[in-house]
Amino acid sequence: MVKTANPFVAAILNIAESQDIGSFKKIFEYFSPRLKSFLMKSGAEENIAEEIIQETMTIIWTKADYYDPKVASPSTWIYTIARNKKIDILRKSRKAILEDIETAVLPAVDPKTEENIEHDQKFDMIAQHLDSLPKDQLDLLKMNFFEEKSHGEISDLTGIPLGTVKSRIRLALEKIRGKLDKNGAMADLKESGESISIN
Amino acid sequence: MTFDILTSPANSPASLLFQQCLAEIVPENKDLNQIKDEIGGYFLERAEPMPLSNDLWMKTINSTAMKNIKKTKIEIDPFLSRLPRTLQAQLKDKKIKWKSFKDVKIASILPKDKNEKLELIHVMPGAKIPQHTHEGIESFLVLHGSYSDEYGNYNQGSVQVRSEDHHHTPVGHELTGCIGLAYTHGKIKFSGAFGKLLNIIAN
Repeated sequence: MVKTANPFVAAILNIAESQDIGSFKKIFEYFSPRLKSFLMKSGAEENIAEEIIQETMTIIWTKADYYDPKVASPSTWIYTIARNKKIDILRKSRKAILEDIETAVLPAVDPKTEENIEHDQKFDMIAQHLDSLPKDQLDLLKMNFFEEKSHGEISDLTGIPLGTVKSRIRLALEKIRGKLDKNGAMADLKESGESISIN
Repeated sequence: MTFDILTSPANSPASLLFQQCLAEIVPENKDLNQIKDEIGGYFLERAEPMPLSNDLWMKTINSTAMKNIKKTKIEIDPFLSRLPRTLQAQLKDKKIKWKSFKDVKIASILPKDKNEKLELIHVMPGAKIPQHTHEGIESFLVLHGSYSDEYGNYNQGSVQVRSEDHHHTPVGHELTGCIGLAYTHGKIKFSGAFGKLLNIIAN
């Protein structure tokens, strides 16, 4: 059995190593009801949502040996699989493809990428940053990246002008990226005397 | 993206595929895409659980896909693994039909079209391609490795747009060679400030 701090990392590695059905059930029980929430909030009908969950879980089972904890947290990996499955299933028109390119959310799982910082730290940093955001800002990100609403839909729902929605989301992403760069380039900062904290 | 203006105005399958590969491979996008996925993961972990149908677990573990795939260990094709996922998905389970020209191999990605073509180009390490021009406008995206010509060095994620009367002699990197995606369309010539070569994203 594999031991790591995140129980879901251990579960995925156990599936890869010994096709452990107990570990698979653990993943299924935690993530399936949350995936259902994600899928239905982002517009899937209940039966389609469950079809996507089933396919996502099958991929977790069959591709667990491709999972690299250094690259993605379990929730990010599972989210990405489900999202891609959803696109596969729901993609009907060229318009959908175009919107997909515009938002360009594609899995960036490249095992050869040299990471400046460990993934766990990175994921924690992003989580901490999101935790610290005012609710209205967090809601914008949630609507965009979790409920997968377009910028136009968000503008209609919130009454915030479209341009402002776009710039706020862009700014939030830039801010997170800035934070990661800052923590990734520790040596540079030390030289400039700026203080940094990772935890 | 500047690139839109330079490629075909029509969103043809070839152009879309090229743009999708570009979006995936450009370093700054790679970064942002990963952040977007992390944000998705963050909200997934904190999502309100919704009750599932009673038989979903049984349906999942009894599905034929669950039973079959695990028996055959999936082998990763070392060539495919160097390509962006969009292309991997496009080429999966298909035999790539390479045409060999000494140290360069070229394969068409999509069915032939009279207005445009999308090709995968594999230049072997150190291989020198004789001086040539292009039919129409060629946008070349470096997917893996790098190459150089009389005008510069081009690394992964960079795009070069060349008109048909641009002459050059590319050489694949001596260790890695180069894999690139070439999208060719139209017969419009660049003029004025554009020059004959435009290197959009240089690393």
